[in-house]
Amino acid sequence: MAESVLKRIAHGDPRAVADCIDEFGGLVWSIARRLTRARADAEDAVQEIFTDIWRSAARFDPAQGSEKVFIATIARRRLIDRMRRSSAEPATESTDVLDHAGWADPGSRGEICVEAERAAQAVAQLRPDQQKVLQLGIVNGLTHSEIAKTTGMPLGTVKTNMRRGLLQVRELMSVLVDDTGEVRS
Amino acid sequence: MNSAALRDDRLVDLLVKQTTEGVTLEEQAEIERLLATYPGADREMLARTAAAIALAGVEEEPMPTALRDQLRDNAARWVVSRESKVTDFAGRREARTTAAANVESARDGTGRISPSARWPWFAAAACLVLAVTGWWPRLRDAQDTQQANVPVVTEPPAQVTPEPVPPEPTIAQRREQLLAGGAAVSVPWSNTDDPASRGVTGDVVWDNEKQTGYLRFSGLAANDPQRTQYQLWIFDKEQDQRFPVDGGVFDIPAGATEVVVPIKAAIAVREPLMFAVTIEKAGGVVVSEREHIITLAKTPAAAG
Repeated sequence: MAESVLKRIAHGDPRAVADCIDEFGGLVWSIARRLTRARADAEDAVQEIFTDIWRSAARFDPAQGSEKVFIATIARRRLIDRMRRSSAEPATESTDVLDHAGWADPGSRGEICVEAERAAQAVAQLRPDQQKVLQLGIVNGLTHSEIAKTTGMPLGTVKTNMRRGLLQVRELMSVLVDDTGEVRS
Repeated sequence: MNSAALRDDRLVDLLVKQTTEGVTLEEQAEIERLLATYPGADREMLARTAAAIALAGVEEEPMPTALRDQLRDNAARWVVSRESKVTDFAGRREARTTAAANVESARDGTGRISPSARWPWFAAAACLVLAVTGWWPRLRDAQDTQQANVPVVTEPPAQVTPEPVPPEPTIAQRREQLLAGGAAVSVPWSNTDDPASRGVTGDVVWDNEKQTGYLRFSGLAANDPQRTQYQLWIFDKEQDQRFPVDGGVFDIPAGATEVVVPIKAAIAVREPLMFAVTIEKAGGVVVSEREHIITLAKTPAAAG
């Protein structure tokens, strides 16, 4: 089995750094586009994210999850940090757009990793209001206050739905893993 | 995350917030304190779950060609800088050495690059680069200050023996010179809930362009260097906040009223957001458990 690109970076293979861009560029770009307000912001963020990924490659542990999840975790952390810094800027997406935002069609997600499949199955088992909060908060990158404003839910309800939804997905994903006997995410 | 940690409502609330909309530096410090009470807790568990959810909800689209080209340029530069500046976390363990260790390494001519970080064709060139840009200045700094992690006691003033050449400025004088240069920021210490923080005052002076700075303390208790040492951490805007830059270990001698300590950042600091001092075991640590955070100093950049 070929060594993962992150392991190769950690071991000092200079070509692996560029290979990482080829392999995960689309993924990072797509996440960045979702969690930034403007295309230029996404471009800046992607450059920061890849530097983070290269620096953090030695911390990748396949027992904890796939490379895609590791990279998506780093990408989200950086993007959330950027969002906090620019929180004064108002959201530019309209509620109409968000109302039509839904979970991606599995057929359009390209080579989806097993954790994402399990997450999608787990989310499908949540209550609609919890699904909505996770969609807006985690996929679209809205803050809790923005979700409250968008959905009309009280802020406390948003926070509760986010917390319970996230923990339930985690638990359901573990059950799905246990059923298949595969590595936990 | 283990089950005990999952029952800690405050910790779970903070981790959910961290995972979904981010946390403040104070909240991050609280997370670290709470996690320290649950050894073995998987701090990334909720972040990975959120990442999996994000992956499930994202339709992948190709990256723009111009951005890809830019990234490839960045990658080439990063590969070179990685060898010459020790920028990765694994390398930080190598870079995080006390001044005494630096002197020891220089004496026996070893310790330039860890075997795991050694790249085949680059090794010889990297050793040369490190010799010129890395170890020698550090060794010179260490010799300049006798021991770089030994602070200067400014009260009472030290006896100055006349020398045929002008004496080197003391660390306290260098701090004053840095301040007088006008480019350095000066941030006062804030106290924490830790009992050792009570009555501690002072400040941090840091010049980002020169990558130089000094800590000044009054009221900080003397430590036993055989058992514990103080350690500085620098939270860099460009670094993962869980892994702040190691700013070096130092001691506070008994009887000192005011102490000035030079900052010894293990790697380049891009934009410091906060300086923090912890108590660690003698020799310092690579990653602090942050059980004893003694003082904090947030820079103006942290407010922005």
